[in-house]
Amino acid sequence: MPIADHKKCTGCHICEIICSIHHYKEMNPKLALVEIKDSWPWEDKVVICRQCKKPKCIEACEYDALEIVNGHIKIDHDKCTACFECVKACPFEGVVVSDLTGKPVFCDTCNGQYLCVSWCPQKVLSK
Amino acid sequence: MDRDEYFGYAGKILTVDLGSSAYVIKPTPYDMVVNFLGGKGFGAKILYEELKPGWDPLSEDNILVVATGPLTGTLMPATGHATLCTKSPLTGIWLDSHCAGFLGPEIKMAGYDAIIIKGKAKKPTVLVIKDGKVSFEDARYLWGKLIFETQDLLRQKYGEDCQFMTIGPAGERKARFANIVSGGRGFGRGGSGAVMGSKNLKAIVVKGTKGIRIYDLDGFTKICRESYSELVLSPDTGGGRPKYGTNSIYSFMIEAGTHPVKNFQTGIFEEVKECNEDVLDKKYYKRHIACFSCPINCSKASRVDDGKYKGKFTEGPEYENMWSLGAQCGNSNIGAIIYGEHLCDEYGLDAISAGNVIGFTMECFEKGILSEKDIGFPANFGNDEAIIKFIEMMAKKEGIGELMSQGVRQMAKELGRGTEKFAMHVKGMEMPAYDPRGAFGMGLAYATSDRGACHLRAWTLGAEILDTQDRMDPFATEFKAELVKNQQDYFAVIQSAVVCLFLNFGISQRQITRSIQALTGIKEWKTGEDILRIGERIYNLTRLFSMREGISGKDDRLPERLLKEPVQEGPTKGVVVDLDTMLEEYYLVRHWDAEGRPTKEKLAQLGLEKYVV
Repeated sequence: MPIADHKKCTGCHICEIICSIHHYKEMNPKLALVEIKDSWPWEDKVVICRQCKKPKCIEACEYDALEIVNGHIKIDHDKCTACFECVKACPFEGVVVSDLTGKPVFCDTCNGQYLCVSWCPQKVLSK
Repeated sequence: MDRDEYFGYAGKILTVDLGSSAYVIKPTPYDMVVNFLGGKGFGAKILYEELKPGWDPLSEDNILVVATGPLTGTLMPATGHATLCTKSPLTGIWLDSHCAGFLGPEIKMAGYDAIIIKGKAKKPTVLVIKDGKVSFEDARYLWGKLIFETQDLLRQKYGEDCQFMTIGPAGERKARFANIVSGGRGFGRGGSGAVMGSKNLKAIVVKGTKGIRIYDLDGFTKICRESYSELVLSPDTGGGRPKYGTNSIYSFMIEAGTHPVKNFQTGIFEEVKECNEDVLDKKYYKRHIACFSCPINCSKASRVDDGKYKGKFTEGPEYENMWSLGAQCGNSNIGAIIYGEHLCDEYGLDAISAGNVIGFTMECFEKGILSEKDIGFPANFGNDEAIIKFIEMMAKKEGIGELMSQGVRQMAKELGRGTEKFAMHVKGMEMPAYDPRGAFGMGLAYATSDRGACHLRAWTLGAEILDTQDRMDPFATEFKAELVKNQQDYFAVIQSAVVCLFLNFGISQRQITRSIQALTGIKEWKTGEDILRIGERIYNLTRLFSMREGISGKDDRLPERLLKEPVQEGPTKGVVVDLDTMLEEYYLVRHWDAEGRPTKEKLAQLGLEKYVV
């Protein structure tokens, strides 16, 4: 369950890069399952799924696109209509919307390795 | 070859003609990659071949090359840079300028190793590059607007996840040291903003979605991981720099007398108690900011909480600007420095040149060469309100600002009366924040830097002042030629791999070359030496570029103040720079002749025969 201490974040995007390498074998932060949102120069914010035990996003989804598999949320992009009810329902503002597909994506823990947590140089993320 | 055949590179070059709103996308030539690496190297080759000597840098003939390198936008630390190359309107010779932040990775993700911009738009234009789509859009609604407002409007129109290159009113009016701003960072030196302004190009918007492929995925990831560890273990990139930013060296420079005060008249800054890195850290820094993939986070967000500059903020202030708007102008009011730096970013002026010019103007005022009538107000050293007024006047070219915006070389030419002796520039570019009388290596570095007085072609302060072991004598001439030459060549590699120079303070050359090999898999680079040799090739080519514009050994000079006028007090008391001894040795080490021309043998060895001037 990755938790972010936003105040420590410097906005280096290393979490996004290592995430894209693990999942897509190339460096493309825009494919990442974690996202940094900035409000220059005062704030950077990490958007990442916390893998809640009783996820509000699943409750909010009217299209059955979300389910829990191996302890993390899995999304069926064929069923997803990009209505963003899950984005609104998440109490932690932790749902990443992909730039490329326009649909939500969820952290899958890199098989429990949590590479974003181990690579974050500022220890913003913990699990 | 295109992206599918390259690893590490985007594989395409975009050429844009603003005059006809046309563009063409071509594969990146493989021999250019092998021989010139990227970034500065690509710029040198392209500009040498496509610019004719003598072309006016502010005419439609000039060309802007914005380039990335193999490491840009990758997992290696500090890879957020982009490189810009053009002919400088400030110096009339070679210019490469580097912008940190997030621009470089975005250009590469849009699919380009370089963007070449030619011609002049008929009306103010925004160039919009979204992956393979290029459009030329009306920018009349943005013309005249300050930079941060322009960026906000662009963000609203084109989306939060774009990156920008923007000029302000100074660039529009072609102030000769106008810069280009991207986010809170910029292509600072040499007047690239004026080149954009002369092309009627208000902004470039870039958005990319393509990834970068890796040749040896596990090997490269491992090298990156090691590099992060090395950076954290270095006392510089893991200690002072993350805490204080570039100001981590501030007190060391003051102590050594290498922090010039009042236009290089002295090295003693009495107000240092109220103006140093600890005060900045405790009172002004509000948070740390990192560029793309960087664990060093040397950038700071600063805000003034009280006094007459209350509420003013900046991303910075950087060490160079702490000097240029501080000690150089006899000013110790950090609030004014923060506001001044912010204004330079808003109007789009290089804050190093701006501060240097202001210090020069203040000295002219105190010496009676410029009167209150000429300027409009008293401009003594230490007058913080004058600094703010001068910045606005230069950006708007109002009153004396018109002359000031042309740089100190031109000012001295017009003012006469011996002012050229203390116009602190080399080849037209204003000097930054180090006094060579306290570190001779910097004198040679300034005199031989390819773009004029610059601290980022060789930076000898580490070896001469800061190193705790095997430190060189800063007042000696021995070994400085080799030091400067080796740094110039290696920095050219860093600026062509297009990563941040600060990696040099934390990780080894071997680590950089290994990472390039693992990332690209290019067979011609069998050893690290094969990559390092590219640096010398690039440095010789930029020399040839400037020689073609009329530069010779006679221009590898320092202002008379540094050669004949010693400081009267402090650690550098009585010292002047012995440039000639170092320069003679430098030409020998470089295999250049006594007039500073690369020899035929050297050019042949570097594969540059066809570029003989």
